[in-house]
Amino acid sequence: MLYYLSLPFLSILLIALQSTVTDIIFSGRLVFELSLIVIIYAGFHLDLIRGAILAFVFGFVWDCVGGSVPGLYTFIYILIFLFSFFVSDWLDTGKIYVIACFCFLCSFLKEIILFLFYFLAFKIDVLMNTYFVVIFLQALILGLFAPVFFYLTDRAEAFFYGKKA
Amino acid sequence: MFFLRKYKTIIFVAALLVVALIMISYNLKYGTDQSFSRKIVLEAMAPVQKVLNYSITGVKDNWLRYISLVGMEAENKNLKKQINELKAVLLSYQEGYQEAQRLKKLLSLSNDYNYQFISARVIGREQAALSRIILINKGSTDGLKAGMPVLAPPGLIGRLVDVSWHVSRVLLFIDENSNIDAIVQRNRTQGIISGAGSRGLIFKYISKTQDVKEGDVIISSGMGGVFPKGMLIGQVSHVDRQDGGLFLKITVAPYTDFSKLEEILILSSDETKIK
Repeated sequence: MLYYLSLPFLSILLIALQSTVTDIIFSGRLVFELSLIVIIYAGFHLDLIRGAILAFVFGFVWDCVGGSVPGLYTFIYILIFLFSFFVSDWLDTGKIYVIACFCFLCSFLKEIILFLFYFLAFKIDVLMNTYFVVIFLQALILGLFAPVFFYLTDRAEAFFYGKKA
Repeated sequence: MFFLRKYKTIIFVAALLVVALIMISYNLKYGTDQSFSRKIVLEAMAPVQKVLNYSITGVKDNWLRYISLVGMEAENKNLKKQINELKAVLLSYQEGYQEAQRLKKLLSLSNDYNYQFISARVIGREQAALSRIILINKGSTDGLKAGMPVLAPPGLIGRLVDVSWHVSRVLLFIDENSNIDAIVQRNRTQGIISGAGSRGLIFKYISKTQDVKEGDVIISSGMGGVFPKGMLIGQVSHVDRQDGGLFLKITVAPYTDFSKLEEILILSSDETKIK
């Protein structure tokens, strides 16, 4: 129960933190989406119900704060969680390169879905070369940071619950 | 019953997906919602953003105050020189302003609107690849309403899209969903300014026969009633005539550096006409 009660607060804290980090380091040019790594981590480690609720809450908070179309991030986050959850049976999720590549792929997929949605719903005119460079860099940064996050979270889990990191 | 019990996990996850899809379709049909849940999230987010923002601003200020004092003397001299030059320019502008006022009187033109500004501080930036939104520390209790224009001198920067009690969201012009009716100050050519994210702005629907040059100033046209006429938007940075289409491809650089926004102004009583 504590898990479900703390989720909204943790998601608000995390999204505020990631916006601030993005603002300081990249001045708004790139987005460092830490919440996406959390969703993927949940897909690898949590059960279906707990993970889906986590993805829903994170997506909803992100929609309320930064999304232009409420519900869009909620939907995409649940999809990414489900993708990570079902793929985790086939992948060796302990390997650094697997985590990095998978996070890179998910970040890239998320941006492609967003782009397709905006293109179909609003017919936005995006300069494809620039856009692909931006989303590629974002995915790369996320992919490189993801193993660090996974390692730290495993260590924290080991510290608090005495599990093997 | 057995079916529900057996597949309850899958049904629950599917229900979450359906809820998200309903939210998307509802918002696409009726526009961005002003829901209670959204206000609650924004209100909860504001103190966290404020704390993070103030701590970072504090560190930044201390850095600027104590560590980057090197070269201050030379900068001081340069600034004094600039002040003297600007004083001379200001005098000539004052002359021009007074002349304009006299001419206005002669032509019986008067200000149609009584502008009032509410200042606010930026407490957060939520910038995804295709959306550019900032959070400010004022809300409906300060008299703000969704749709009000937002400025950061010297020009417009966006409009309020969501107003909670003590915090609001501002959709910046550079957001991909933003469209504003605008004109070229020099020759009054009318078009639509659309957000283009990190590329700045794009001035659309200007036919190839129109005379638009790099350096032209773009101002709001006042059409649509959201933004007042004559507010600065940006300057034409590139005009592409080579493309095969009917219209010019015009890139506009906004006057404001959106990554450095700290304080902004909200135009609060645009509709109050002076009689």
